Amino acid sequence: MKNLKNAVVGIVTGFINGLFGAGGGLILVPSLTKISKLPQKKAMATSLAVILPLSILSVIIYTTKSSINWQILIPVVVGGLIGTPIGVYLLKIISSKILAKLFAVFMIVSAIRLIFF
Amino acid sequence: MNIVYLILIGMVSGVISAMGMGGGTVLILVLGFASELDQVAIQGINLLYFLPIAVFSIICHIKNKNIEIKTASSVIPFGLIGAIIGATIANFLLNGMYLKKIFGVFVLLVGLYTLLSDINWSFLKNPNSPAK
Repeated sequence: MKNLKNAVVGIVTGFINGLFGAGGGLILVPSLTKISKLPQKKAMATSLAVILPLSILSVIIYTTKSSINWQILIPVVVGGLIGTPIGVYLLKIISSKILAKLFAVFMIVSAIRLIFF
Repeated sequence: MNIVYLILIGMVSGVISAMGMGGGTVLILVLGFASELDQVAIQGINLLYFLPIAVFSIICHIKNKNIEIKTASSVIPFGLIGAIIGATIANFLLNGMYLKKIFGVFVLLVGLYTLLSDINWSFLKNPNSPAK
C-alpha cells in the first residue's frame, strides 16, 4: 500500500514538475508530511533530493526543442544565490504563516490574469 | 530586460523558495508578465535556475541529516516516469498559450489551497460557538 502511494505521489510530482517546470515541491512536501509522516523540515529537504533528478530529466527534454537563454538565466541565478540565505534567515525570525497567506493572494491574482487575459 | 531587474526577480524567488512557498512558481509568473519569452522557454529557465540552488541546499541538508534517503529513493523512479510524460506534453504537444492557461489553473488551485488551509472552519458547523 505504501509503495502504491509512493508511486502515485512520484508520478504526479514528476508530471507537474515536467509540465510546468515548477510546482513539484508544492505537491511533494505536503504529501511527505501527510502520507510519510515526515516533519516539515525533513519533508522539504527530501523533496529537494527527489525533484533534482526530475528537473534534470525535464531540462534535457526541454532543450531538445529550444535553446537556453543565458542572458536571462545567469542574472536570475545570481539573484537566487543571494536570496536563498536571506530566506533561510527570515524563516528563523518571522512567521511564514502570514507571508504564505499574502503570497497566496498574489498567486490567485496572477492566476486570474493568466487565465483570462 | 534590465540586468538589475533580473537579479531582483531571482532574489525574490530565492527568498520564497528558501521559505518553502514555491519560489519557482513566482519566477515563472514574473518572467511571464515582464518578458516576451514563451512559456516553455520560461519554464526551462526556472528548471535550470533550480539546479545549482538545489545542489547547494542538498549538500547542507545531507550534512544536517535532513534527507530521508529511503523515502527519496522509493519516489524518484516514479517521479522520473511522470517527468518524461509532463515535459514531453509541455514541449511537444501543447501550444504555449494553452500551457500558460493550464499553469494559471494550477497556480489558482495552489493559491486557494494555501489561503484556505489551516483555517478553523468549526464556527460554520455550529453558529452558536464563537470562532477562535
